[in-house]
Amino acid sequence: MNPVHDEDIDALLRQSFDGPAPDAGFSDRVMQHVRPRRRAVSWPLVVSVFAGVLMCWLSLSGSPLWRAAWQGWFAGVWSASTFVTLAAMAALSLLALGWTLAEADDH
Amino acid sequence: MTCVADSAAEARIDQALVARALLGNDRRAFEQLVRRHQGMVRAQLCRLLHGDAAAADDLAQETFLLAWRKLDQFRSEARFSTWLYRIAYACFLQMCRTKSWAARNAQDDDAMEELPMPAPAMDLRMDLTRAMQHLSTGEQTVLLHCVQLGLSHEEAAYVLSMPLGTVKTHATRGKAKLKTWLSAWQNAAGEEHVQ
Repeated sequence: MNPVHDEDIDALLRQSFDGPAPDAGFSDRVMQHVRPRRRAVSWPLVVSVFAGVLMCWLSLSGSPLWRAAWQGWFAGVWSASTFVTLAAMAALSLLALGWTLAEADDH
Repeated sequence: MTCVADSAAEARIDQALVARALLGNDRRAFEQLVRRHQGMVRAQLCRLLHGDAAAADDLAQETFLLAWRKLDQFRSEARFSTWLYRIAYACFLQMCRTKSWAARNAQDDDAMEELPMPAPAMDLRMDLTRAMQHLSTGEQTVLLHCVQLGLSHEEAAYVLSMPLGTVKTHATRGKAKLKTWLSAWQNAAGEEHVQ
């Protein structure tokens, strides 16, 4: 009696598979339910960014560190407050970048 | 070699249709994609649902509607057909979580457990179908995707969201079990033939 090989099993499994189902109106039924996709609107993102920037500005405008940083920046002096502020902004940007990449991976 | 070239050409056609569907919101391009792939997606779901063609059609429709909505998330890293199989399998798993179908399926499985193993006198194809139903769910699913739908182990791992090693193990174990059962069938059939 011949032993049964992997190829025999593969061939038998393929034979036992009926193959693609005939369309029989299926595609037409699906297309009746397909609605035009809504285009992604960009204005909420733009408005949110501006609102965020404005809120940050309002909350930080009273801070002496922030004021010193800007004064140093405009005078071209790299003071400690300028470094701290720029470092904080860079760290937050990197955090946001990491978050965006993680979200993109999830999708 | 020709088969690989054909597969690459098919993938390029799919990519072009996806690009058309996305850029111009072109429903006709998507309709062509549906027509090209509906047969295999429905066959996949019909097998997963143990031959329940009506439920398979419902799930296939849900699959294509989801694919339309998420078309901008399709990356050409996988073939379009593989991406569709993945969505279809996710829809199937979602359906399994609903109580009604799971309960009905459990009853069917119990009934299947009570059936005797393949009898020698029966047709080989029927015996193979019955033997398949005695495999574990993982083994059945992997053999369906790797052998019957013709996916590579890597593609099956992507579709089933399963580690590659697990896919290979299920495939090897499933085939080993089928070999054992079908060898017994072959021996019994040979003995009958001699008598």
